[in-house]
Amino acid sequence: MDVAAIRTSKLSKNYGLGRGLFDLDLHVEAQEVFGFLGPNGAGKSTTIRCLMGLIRPTAGAAQIFGLDCIHDYVAVKRQVGYIPGEMPQFGSLRGSEVVAYLGALRGGADLKRVRSLAERFNLDLSRRYREYSSGNKQKLAIVLAFMHQPRLLILDEPTSGLDPLNQQEFFALLSEAREGGSTVFLSSHILSEVERMCDRVGIIRSGRLVTIADLDELHAIRFHHVELEFAPGTEMPVKAMRSAAGVEDVVAADYTAKCIVKGSFEPLLHALRGSTVTNLVSHEPSLEEIFLEYYRETAPAKALTP
Amino acid sequence: MAAYILALRLGRWGIAGFGAVAFLVTLVQAAGFYQIAGHTAEERQAFGRSISVLASQFTVIIAPPIRPDTVGGYVEWRAYGFLAILFAIWGLASASGAARGDEERGLVQALLASGLSRPRMIAARVAAFGTGGSVAALAGSAGLLAGVASGGETISAATALEAAVVLAALGTCCYSLTLLVAQFTSARNSTAVAGVILLGLFLINSLSRTFDDLVRWRWLSPFHYYERSSPLTPGGTLDGTATLLLLGVAVAAAALAAFAFRYRDVGSPLITLPTPTRSASYQMSRSPIWRVPVVRDLYERRFSLLVWTVGLSALGAVFVLLTKAIVKPLLAIPELAPYFALFVNGNIYASFLGFIWFGFAQLLMAGFAITQVARWSAEDSDGRLELVLSNPVSRPRVVVERLTVLTLGALVIAAVSGVAVGLEAHSQSIDLNHRRLAEASLMLVPFTLVFGTVGALLASRIPRATVGILGAFAFASYLTVQLGPIFKLPAWVQDLSAFKLYGQPLTAGVDQTGLVVMLVIVMAGLMAAAMVMKRRDIGA
Repeated sequence: MDVAAIRTSKLSKNYGLGRGLFDLDLHVEAQEVFGFLGPNGAGKSTTIRCLMGLIRPTAGAAQIFGLDCIHDYVAVKRQVGYIPGEMPQFGSLRGSEVVAYLGALRGGADLKRVRSLAERFNLDLSRRYREYSSGNKQKLAIVLAFMHQPRLLILDEPTSGLDPLNQQEFFALLSEAREGGSTVFLSSHILSEVERMCDRVGIIRSGRLVTIADLDELHAIRFHHVELEFAPGTEMPVKAMRSAAGVEDVVAADYTAKCIVKGSFEPLLHALRGSTVTNLVSHEPSLEEIFLEYYRETAPAKALTP
Repeated sequence: MAAYILALRLGRWGIAGFGAVAFLVTLVQAAGFYQIAGHTAEERQAFGRSISVLASQFTVIIAPPIRPDTVGGYVEWRAYGFLAILFAIWGLASASGAARGDEERGLVQALLASGLSRPRMIAARVAAFGTGGSVAALAGSAGLLAGVASGGETISAATALEAAVVLAALGTCCYSLTLLVAQFTSARNSTAVAGVILLGLFLINSLSRTFDDLVRWRWLSPFHYYERSSPLTPGGTLDGTATLLLLGVAVAAAALAAFAFRYRDVGSPLITLPTPTRSASYQMSRSPIWRVPVVRDLYERRFSLLVWTVGLSALGAVFVLLTKAIVKPLLAIPELAPYFALFVNGNIYASFLGFIWFGFAQLLMAGFAITQVARWSAEDSDGRLELVLSNPVSRPRVVVERLTVLTLGALVIAAVSGVAVGLEAHSQSIDLNHRRLAEASLMLVPFTLVFGTVGALLASRIPRATVGILGAFAFASYLTVQLGPIFKLPAWVQDLSAFKLYGQPLTAGVDQTGLVVMLVIVMAGLMAAAMVMKRRDIGA
């Protein structure tokens, strides 16, 4: 039987006053890309720090590839590449020295692999760390996490600070790691990011796991705010819009209409057929809005817990 | 107003710390005066003459005392001469942090983005430091009044207040000058450049007492205007013109700093030199240094280690150089014989160096240990320890490596400074036992490790409060052993001091008991620190 890449059982870290992480049960299979989604302060970084053995849980247990995260923390780290939520200070060290320093803690780093990663992200390793922008510091974090080709990547909001082009490059790198057999545990507060990369997504809020969803469930959860402008003098298909599947809260006035679209856009586009739409804007809601909508629909079954 | 309050809040620990030091220093010196100056008029006049002779050897550093036979004159020389230097250093460190350190942390950008103008930011910072400096200086006045009261005498509260005004004015002047200098330097060099300039201004004034050529330049030095006032001595007054000049320089320097700040980029000096372009490199460092534990950490600290080694060696040589010049005149004063009897053991020059130099060297080595511990705490709070521990590295190994680096660093400093002292003693024809000099120097290593292991334990448990607690521990230990004989403190109280464990190896040989106790503390501290580190939360 294959050992799970990550397994937690009633994992809790209580900081008091309702803050922390409570009764987290997770099971991430080997070679799976698992997204961990939650708003700021939800407990994502606390979970990751427990997995990395940096903080001791107040209750429960966590295992990585069958190794206990607290008692076998050194062996665990041999399997893991890690991107922290924030990169620390390395002062006047050069990027090349930071890589050599942290690489040596693993018994050495592959020169070719480091060069390939640095070239890929156009990261000049000869510059001093304090001269790096936040984006360059994040690129260095990526190099450090991927340079030893770990079995498990634990990534705490890995795209923060990266520009769109480098985000694309990062997602490509992640895909390659997955194809190479790595497992990925990726935290984020951006739904589209995890939706794009992950097989399954755990959603956490106020320290408690709300749900674990596969991609289909995730699509059902997500929705968009849509604003439409119609050509003056044309008739707005309000009735057709209201009857379209997944289209809700339609408000129309002065040749503009607003609505919420859940799931596919196809029913809305079908309802608009024959109308002259001059502008269509779609906004992805914040995670909080998604949670409120999620809880509105499931309130009888799920309690809002701190 | 919000910027002013924020600036006060940012500096609250400095205000509390320097206020506490000012209070303690004036209290101890005022109370100490009654312990050593005698009680009759004749005894005090004799004491005053002795102190004047003693002080004449130090005029290169501190102005000669006026009426040291009175508590006011004595405290003005012993306490306020030292506090002037301390407040100047505080102004330097605080202004460097405010001008450029906060830029690196992003605080300046956040404040400017909130709509605060640059001149108002500078004004708020200077006003806040002036307020904090005044509070700390008033704490010094309170210590003076309390110390004088302990001797059953009184001193005018108005004169104590005047002493505080002059001290705060000097500190604020140094703060503003540093702010101005910081506008023209890179962030990492601002402290060093401003420090060199302030040191130069200090030396112009102090050396002008010895070298006549410098007299015409001392108007440049704020320390000259500080010394124009002597409010605590009988008949002395606060020099209003000089004090207003200090405040005027502070305001003018702050205004110029604000003007320069308006025209420079945040994060850059006002004038920048173009940097040569070069192609990017994607290669990891191949230096073998990074592959060797401990060596890589020593390499990273090489510049600070060099500064500590050179600084301690140079200071040691200077102490030896001054030994005969200081000791010979003192031996001619019969009134000082009882005072020397407390400390001298055998060879007078060796005793002097053993007590004065190695006493000071212990304090500096404790400071070295505290700077290393501060670095460990910073590694925890800025996330570096978290990144290190995301690699297959055991937590006890981190503690052991840190203390090994501290041991080797202390060994280098102690060995090189010991050689420097030995060579200078030879050139000055001072007879020092080579074996004992080596022992005295090497004993500094376990002494440093005592502070290091206590610091490692604190850093493993409460990293954010470590430096403050360890600094207070070092200061209290030093005061206990330095002032214990004067105040006739009980032996068991003096034995609590970490400095007492060092003993007097230069004259009396290695104190085996002290050495064993130090080694026990080091081993116990190492094990405790490793255990605590293993169980604690990182970065939480």
